Amino acid sequence: MTIDDAIRRCAVGDRGGLAYIYEQEAGRMLGVAKRMVAKAGLAEDVVQDAFLLIWRGAAQFDSTRGQGRGWVYAILRNRALNVLRSEGRLDPLDEAGMAELPSPDESADVLVERIEQSSHLQRCLAALDAMRRKMIVMAFTNGLTHGEIAAHLKMPLGTVKSHIRRALQALKECLK
Amino acid sequence: MSSTPDLDMLAAEYALGTLEGADLDRAIALEASDPVFRQDVLNWQMKLLPMIDAVQPEPVPADFWAKIESKLGPQQSATRVAAPAQASFWQRLFGDGAQSVSMSRRAALATSVGAAIGGFGLAKWLTVPPETPSQIAVLTTDAGAPTAVVSIYKSGIVELIPLQGIAVPDGRIIEVWTLQNRTQGPVSIGRMDQAKRLKLDLNTLQKPETGHLFELTLEPPGGSPTGKPTGPILMKGLVQVGV
Repeated sequence: MTIDDAIRRCAVGDRGGLAYIYEQEAGRMLGVAKRMVAKAGLAEDVVQDAFLLIWRGAAQFDSTRGQGRGWVYAILRNRALNVLRSEGRLDPLDEAGMAELPSPDESADVLVERIEQSSHLQRCLAALDAMRRKMIVMAFTNGLTHGEIAAHLKMPLGTVKSHIRRALQALKECLK
Repeated sequence: MSSTPDLDMLAAEYALGTLEGADLDRAIALEASDPVFRQDVLNWQMKLLPMIDAVQPEPVPADFWAKIESKLGPQQSATRVAAPAQASFWQRLFGDGAQSVSMSRRAALATSVGAAIGGFGLAKWLTVPPETPSQIAVLTTDAGAPTAVVSIYKSGIVELIPLQGIAVPDGRIIEVWTLQNRTQGPVSIGRMDQAKRLKLDLNTLQKPETGHLFELTLEPPGGSPTGKPTGPILMKGLVQVGV
């Protein structure tokens, strides 16, 4: 079975489909949620909500394109981003709050090393300037806003926005 | 068919998660109403996915699956049926009296709606329905795609007809507004939790005239808390010259 098969099963009300997605992805989904929302309890809620959204949305999703896994993580990350946007984000200068986690700056470097060497994305990220690569990773895997990235890296907001835009354009060209 | 470069960058930033404010609203609205944009966003999610695979999985608490399962609702013995195939554009516009027409006619409609309603274009392809609208408004998304039509009938009935489904985000509904004059501002004339044909309530307002605006926004359940649009605009359009 693939994730796409599992989504099709969810679409017809078969809980075995959701259970398969859970077995394959729940641990990683929790890892991603914790990177983004920091507080463990909140991260668990985000993952639970995501499973519910996957269950409810499966019937409307076109699972014939092999993009099921992308859809699952899009749902998860959007849920995390919605929680961050509505509940207020951690003040980047809040030392007590940040003590739980490695700094997004350092953890981005670690994560870049772990991206699958053979993936197209890894080669395209490697072609980016190190600062832009770090910003892309901080945005995508930590869920940081332009402002938060700017605060962490001690750079002006406008500079961060423009770096990220250019990085995405470079990735777009490279990934064609 | 794919997004313009500008919209593709919007889709990229939306997938990345860095949009805020008006840009974020615009992307949310497009994702709900525009299947091309929605696919573009998913394509970007797939491109960025290897970063997700680099994240370490975490151990899940013991009762994690049990909690999820309890939220799924009662188990059905009958299988849930997937969403039915969409009715053709013409069936949606004029109901079951219309014959189905190829997709290329859809483009013709978008550009020649005013004349078509008078019967110049459509009569060639359709049986004439019992009542043709005296006026229409074609509602388009930010990307310019026709996504719904408001039909205004001599009898006073005003009806919203979506041309395709809308991917309403969780926790939101669709609210329909009309703007007849700037002093009064937008007035709510309908709500729905998914795209469907809807009779709009203009009883307290003037009869729709050329230049009046119809607009759909995403709002919290129960509709806008302020009585004015608060959420992203999914689509809008002006009442066209009547025939």
